[in-house]
Amino acid sequence: MPPTLFQKLFNKRGPLSPPPRSSTEDPALSWPSSELELGQIRLIVYQDCERRGRNVLFDSNSKKKSAEDASVTKMCGQSQAKMFGKCCQLRPLGGSSSSLDSSSSCASEPREHNRFQGTPHCSSDANMLGEMMFGSVAMSYKGSTLKIHQIRSPPQLMLSKVFTARTGSSVYGSLNTLQDSLEFISQDSNTLRPDQGTVVNGFLGNIGFSQLCSPRRAFSEQGPLRLIKSASFFSGHSNPMDMPGRGLYDERDSGIARSASLSSLLITPFPSPGSSLTSSCASSYQRRWLRSQTTSLENGVFPRWSVEESFNMSDENSGPSLGITRKKKIAIGVIFLLSPNEEENSKFQDFFFSHFPLFESHMNKLKSAIEQAMKMSRRSADVSQRVLAHSRIVDGLNEFRTTICNLYTMPRVTEPVWLTMMSGAPEKNQFCGQFIRELAFLMEQASKNQFLPALLTAVLTNHLAWVPTVMPNGQPPIKIFLEKHSSQSVDMLAKTHPYNPLWAQLGDLYGAIGSPVRLARTVVVGRRQELVQRLLYILTYFIRCSELLETHLLESAEDEAIVMPGSLITTSLRRGEVEESDYVLVTMHKPNHDYLSQGAEAEDGYPSDSNSLQSSTYTDTELGLGVPEDQLPEQRLQHVIPVIRAEDHSDGPTFREVGSPRPDARLETMVKVGSTSPRESGPFVDIEGQSEKPDVEVSSLSIKMFRSSGIPLEKKPPDKSLASTSFLLDEEEEPAAKVTFLIGDSMSPESDMESRQGKVEEEFNRHRNRHFDEEQQQPCRSVQQGRAKALLSKPLSTDQIRNNKSKEAKPFARIAGDIPHISPETQEDCMDLFDEYFSEENPVETMTIDDVSVKALETAANGVDKLHKCGQTSSRVGSLVGTHEQVCVQREGGQCKCSTSSTTTIGGYTSCYFAEQDKSIGISLSVPSQRDIGEQKKVPPLNDWEIPRNESSDSALGDSESEDAGQELPRQEQDEQFFSEELAEWQDELEVPFPGAKLVENYSKPSIANFGRSLFGGYCPTYVPDFVLHGIPNDDKLRQSLVSDLSHAVQHPVLDEPIAEAVCIIADTDRWTVQVASSQRRATENKLGKEVLVSNLVSNLLQSTYQLYRLNLSPNFCIMHLEDRLQELYFKSKMLAEYLKGQTRVHVKELGMVLGIESSDLPLLAAIASTHSPYVAQILL
Amino acid sequence: MNALVALCHFCELHGPRTLFCTEAVHPPAPSPPQPGSALLGDREAEREGEGLTMRANSSATQRADMCEGCRSLPVSHPGFVSVDTETGIRFLSHQHPRQAQLFSVVRQACVRSLSCEVCPGREGPIFFGDEQHGFVFSHTFFIKDSLARGFQRWYSIVMVAMDRIYLINSWPFLLRHLKLTIQSLQSTALKVFDSEQGVCPQRAVRMNSAFSPAVFPHQRSGNAARSLPSLTQHPNLWASLHASFSWLLKACGSRLTEKLLEGAPTEDTLVLIERQTEQEEEMNAEGAGGKSESAQCRDFLFGDDGKGEEYCGPNFRSLRHLRQVLGAAEFRQLAWHVLMGNQVIWRGTDRGLIQSAFNVLKTLLPVGCVRVEAYSSQYEEAYRYNFLGLSPDVQIPAHVSSSEFTVLVDVLNVEQGCVHVVCDDDVLSLYQFSISSANTQPVDKGPTLLNKLEVALTNENLSVEVVSHCLLCLKEEWMNKVKVLFKFTKVDGRGRDDTQKVLVLLGATGPGEEDNVRLLKFWMTGLSKTYKSHLMTAVRGVERTLSQ
Repeated sequence: MPPTLFQKLFNKRGPLSPPPRSSTEDPALSWPSSELELGQIRLIVYQDCERRGRNVLFDSNSKKKSAEDASVTKMCGQSQAKMFGKCCQLRPLGGSSSSLDSSSSCASEPREHNRFQGTPHCSSDANMLGEMMFGSVAMSYKGSTLKIHQIRSPPQLMLSKVFTARTGSSVYGSLNTLQDSLEFISQDSNTLRPDQGTVVNGFLGNIGFSQLCSPRRAFSEQGPLRLIKSASFFSGHSNPMDMPGRGLYDERDSGIARSASLSSLLITPFPSPGSSLTSSCASSYQRRWLRSQTTSLENGVFPRWSVEESFNMSDENSGPSLGITRKKKIAIGVIFLLSPNEEENSKFQDFFFSHFPLFESHMNKLKSAIEQAMKMSRRSADVSQRVLAHSRIVDGLNEFRTTICNLYTMPRVTEPVWLTMMSGAPEKNQFCGQFIRELAFLMEQASKNQFLPALLTAVLTNHLAWVPTVMPNGQPPIKIFLEKHSSQSVDMLAKTHPYNPLWAQLGDLYGAIGSPVRLARTVVVGRRQELVQRLLYILTYFIRCSELLETHLLESAEDEAIVMPGSLITTSLRRGEVEESDYVLVTMHKPNHDYLSQGAEAEDGYPSDSNSLQSSTYTDTELGLGVPEDQLPEQRLQHVIPVIRAEDHSDGPTFREVGSPRPDARLETMVKVGSTSPRESGPFVDIEGQSEKPDVEVSSLSIKMFRSSGIPLEKKPPDKSLASTSFLLDEEEEPAAKVTFLIGDSMSPESDMESRQGKVEEEFNRHRNRHFDEEQQQPCRSVQQGRAKALLSKPLSTDQIRNNKSKEAKPFARIAGDIPHISPETQEDCMDLFDEYFSEENPVETMTIDDVSVKALETAANGVDKLHKCGQTSSRVGSLVGTHEQVCVQREGGQCKCSTSSTTTIGGYTSCYFAEQDKSIGISLSVPSQRDIGEQKKVPPLNDWEIPRNESSDSALGDSESEDAGQELPRQEQDEQFFSEELAEWQDELEVPFPGAKLVENYSKPSIANFGRSLFGGYCPTYVPDFVLHGIPNDDKLRQSLVSDLSHAVQHPVLDEPIAEAVCIIADTDRWTVQVASSQRRATENKLGKEVLVSNLVSNLLQSTYQLYRLNLSPNFCIMHLEDRLQELYFKSKMLAEYLKGQTRVHVKELGMVLGIESSDLPLLAAIASTHSPYVAQILL
Repeated sequence: MNALVALCHFCELHGPRTLFCTEAVHPPAPSPPQPGSALLGDREAEREGEGLTMRANSSATQRADMCEGCRSLPVSHPGFVSVDTETGIRFLSHQHPRQAQLFSVVRQACVRSLSCEVCPGREGPIFFGDEQHGFVFSHTFFIKDSLARGFQRWYSIVMVAMDRIYLINSWPFLLRHLKLTIQSLQSTALKVFDSEQGVCPQRAVRMNSAFSPAVFPHQRSGNAARSLPSLTQHPNLWASLHASFSWLLKACGSRLTEKLLEGAPTEDTLVLIERQTEQEEEMNAEGAGGKSESAQCRDFLFGDDGKGEEYCGPNFRSLRHLRQVLGAAEFRQLAWHVLMGNQVIWRGTDRGLIQSAFNVLKTLLPVGCVRVEAYSSQYEEAYRYNFLGLSPDVQIPAHVSSSEFTVLVDVLNVEQGCVHVVCDDDVLSLYQFSISSANTQPVDKGPTLLNKLEVALTNENLSVEVVSHCLLCLKEEWMNKVKVLFKFTKVDGRGRDDTQKVLVLLGATGPGEEDNVRLLKFWMTGLSKTYKSHLMTAVRGVERTLSQ
């Protein structure tokens, strides 16, 4: 009695739309009706050759102008047969007229334009588009470059990629294969005439072609830092630019790419978490964490992995060509003509940007088609071949257009069950009821051939994202069981280590969370639309993904601009209403000159953000205030820099120690601007250990600020410290308003080791010179070692450092204590200490650097860092007080010494760099463009400071910041200001309260910009390859394209990570079959894929849920039961994983007797296990 | 967001320059799981190396080739930092990124954005990039300058990230917000421009002076390059920009949030949590009583606990071990009683041994069904403890010893003279066990769970870990049946016939049916209160609403 049930179901459905609604009924509800016509997508292909400039190979627009392209082509004579000849030659070169363009055959042989485009007319914007795609300056980078442009009128969006063309099968191959026919022809003309303008190009043109193609030349072009000036070099800008490439690594990249597909078969794409994955670890968390790490800038800029993305015009069998990329680039641009309707326009843009991975993937497919076509046309001069080639591009384009249009416009499942339930809609109970009813209905109607269990087996095996949703979690439930828990760890991760939730969602949907990574899609085929839709509906419960919420700013658009420059910002911390945490309310006042002149207006009662108002005073005073910290106790200053002694004495009484009875408490002097006499503005007390805290943990990061009055202010949100902050604005206290922030996180970039080391060494040397007056290189080195040793014996821990804050004095707890300690008493003490640490008698010295463990070295480096601070401050003081000259000389001397490799400094440098070397190798290796730095690190200590730095690729950019610091030094020596500037250089950054807005989480309405909503297709008239799930009436189109789709999915994975296998589940409701097609299996004739074994466990699970429903248990309970049963699958997979640890093969019988696991369950359980125990796949494969 | 934002400028004299750059520094490790920790360690090491930074802000090297327009913060300026207290992410602004690699990446982005890439209309957004140099969202724009060539200067704001997908995903968001920033800059500058022009119209000045491109910049020597703050007459511009960029990074990173569900906790977990809560309440009430039964509770989940290890005498290490020691038949009998909820009494001198036996045996049951008194000097009623350890001299009341719901295990020392080898593992050589029960029912039919477990225990191919996983699976499987039965009988109050149907459905019928049912009923007592009350209230309430 399906009809009655059906009616029963849908008569009562109310506002909540039931699933099996016809897609045509009311598409607006589920998926905004969108329009995109094939014609709105345009393809344009360029070729850019170093010698001959740029030309359009294909432009779907110009082709359109002559509809009968085929006939035109047929009429083309032999001479016009150059299939991809230049439709028009583009000469973006400023000044050079196109008529001069010798390589262009346009001028001389206009008829040649009658190619596929069928018309010599070249789109008017072709020039511009080419320029946009290639850029006005060529890059030496050999990978592909991705670009997106917005064109305003007519509104268009262009997605383009530039590839380096790889022609030629091998260097030693015949020239003919190296050359594509087009080039041959134009080469001809090139040799006949001088090339336009540039001598070089003309010369190259005349060299002749064998030379050009000679292996040697080819190899020489592989140099890592090539400077390419494209033929179309755009001289409009003032400085010629070259783009430094990291050529050396190009090779390596492709190597990675090649091996990636192999390794990914077995292993997770990322640095394998391996067996360290504990059972408690949800794979979803792991995935996201890794994503955040692999895309983090802080970890350095590594190309993560890349598909082989050069444009391959060589023959397939040639393998990775040994080379030779001639400087030819192919640009493929896809242009979307946007609707003039603003709303439609922004809708498409939302869709485009959120679904970019899919667009990119299809573009790659299109690229392959173009590649093939060009190969084809290259291979033969036969016209028909070229026609064929051309039509291939047209086919590719059409496929692209259709796919995109379908993707955008096809109907969607109105309310994916899982996501809707998850969203906690008030109608959830009804929703559960509806789902269970549907499930029951299908159990009755679709049980033929075990259809439903088979389908569900396949889905659960491949769309694995349900697994994390049943992994038990340790927290008590919130209110309702059904709601399970939203993962807090993932939540926190997203905040602290942002990853891309859209990406994560996409991965979930495709089930790409196991190991090896598999991409799965499900297609339900059948003529009975209603049945198919019901199936789709049910499956949206089992195919799961995370729900994406879009965060919006609560405030109006005006306030979104919160932090406009030119506006006054006020911030206040408010208790969050939605989130638990506080948020900073930032109020922005429109740009307005009044307040700029007036200064603060705290009119709304919020204390103004101290930064925005005060930074002007800050910068004004900065020069003078440059001595914020004097970490050196007085006595030390006395002998180091005599001048300051007096100052210190006069200041002495006013120093107050706050918080620490230690004799070596650090005091910061506040020195008044402009006058050398330090105006007493109250001592600043450094919080020990905070500024010195090694980079152990950031989490414990605490910030305190001390007002000049010496009263420690807890750094508080502005509104909480309203009273105290407000007086900061007081004019009277202006000098005191300077607030020192000490941020105890030396992980921050301010730890500029290089320079600090320099300084500390100077300090060292100064001491050494004074006390021992001897010149030695080795001791300095041993000093470091000794220190390392000292540190080893007295390892410093955060705790200890914290303790320093408290009363106990632990003088030797930290290396940083050294210098302060030196000073308290007398010079002799100093000497002693120096002896202890630095003298040659110290047995530690005999250690070689190799003996010192890396750890020790690192610790030592920390220590050094601290010493720097001391040293550095002392020099600051010194210079401020008027010993500029002396310090200056020393400083400059120090640096000069470095470069001239003499005297004591070097030793120190050496060890410093040694200490860091271990840590830095990875980085310096990977960035050849940072060569200068890397070399500094790696150079053998004693000689190589003079490495010419102008090899730096950066230099060509006209930016000489990193060049030849030494040469500029003398100049600076005379520059008085330099010092005052230099003084402040090593301060910690100015703290600016974090600007925030009230971020409010909103549920994303069924949004176009959300894979969870967009990839659950409805019953579509035709097959759509991107949909995670959809229904189609017949499998005609599917049969045609499935194989290529699957292999494409593996070759150009949308997930930006290597994919081991792509599968497609095909459920045919007409034949009651469920098959799984795989990219790894050849489809056998007439069969799309492999029949699915019905898992007994799944079958039972369905049965019992269904029976419970039949027994009139409430739908909610049935769903809870269903979830429990799914959880059982998870537990069984855990057991299987454990079992496999000790086995090389599964003895099904053993498992069967104990757990009722049958061989038909194994694929399912193994797949589940692969999400938590990656090794399982390796064992089973 | 894993990105950085930079303001770039095309200087008339020096070409493209990075003016100001804001980066996010994330806390090193997220609090949660260990899984990444191995990986994390590596990363950590790498990161430390990053301490070696460019002397990006170093005055020593830059000054010569910098004009006002090329510079943001005065060299003396330490930069800005803002800390997002919620997450610990720090946002740092300097003129250049301090890390060498990023320095170069940003410079690339800057150069490309201002001199290589072509944006139609020159002002507007573009995206470009590649895997090696990172990906860039760039928005170029002009700022009015009465003294500049063409009366305007050329700037761009770039956002650089390695995750191209995210960057592109964020395009609409970035565009919207960068536009606001840019418009604000432009309008402020426009006002300045207008007022300057009002004072001294440059056009006229220039028309009158002999103009040649080569001389032009030099003509305006001092003013050749004006800084952005001077163009906007906004002295706090950089601080504002820092705030703006920091906000952008944060907002863009948290624009989309994910709601990700995890599975419900198991019944065992729930019971443990409940017990812990109870205990805490008790302790709060009593004030003292530091016996950490909560710790004990935790041990339920994991079978053998620390206490077993502390005690180094002979003990039972696993079910399998227990079975070996007792013998298959005896073990079965004992396990049967355990599963049926009967009281299991162990009497003997070796307290540790008894404790270990209980630790092993209790793994057979859901946590909620376990009530242990490991060693007592007097008999305790069955309703209080289903595992009871007694010293040998304790007399067991007659009604208990004659009850079929009790099983007694007497641990007898083997007369071996003096046993010195205390830690000897061979329990068997030390003790004899005599099991007695008044139970007359056969124990060899069911329950099904026990049958399966025995198969697993017998199969030496399966390691102890595998067996314990098996047991976990079996327990969960049966707990799920328990839930159904509970719902059916206790909540919905169904009749006998229906119940029988459910039993069939649950696979509890067939051989050993009686035992299965007993087990289910016993286990029902072990359901967590949370679950029960949930079923009682929530689900019922739902049904009520549904039926309405």
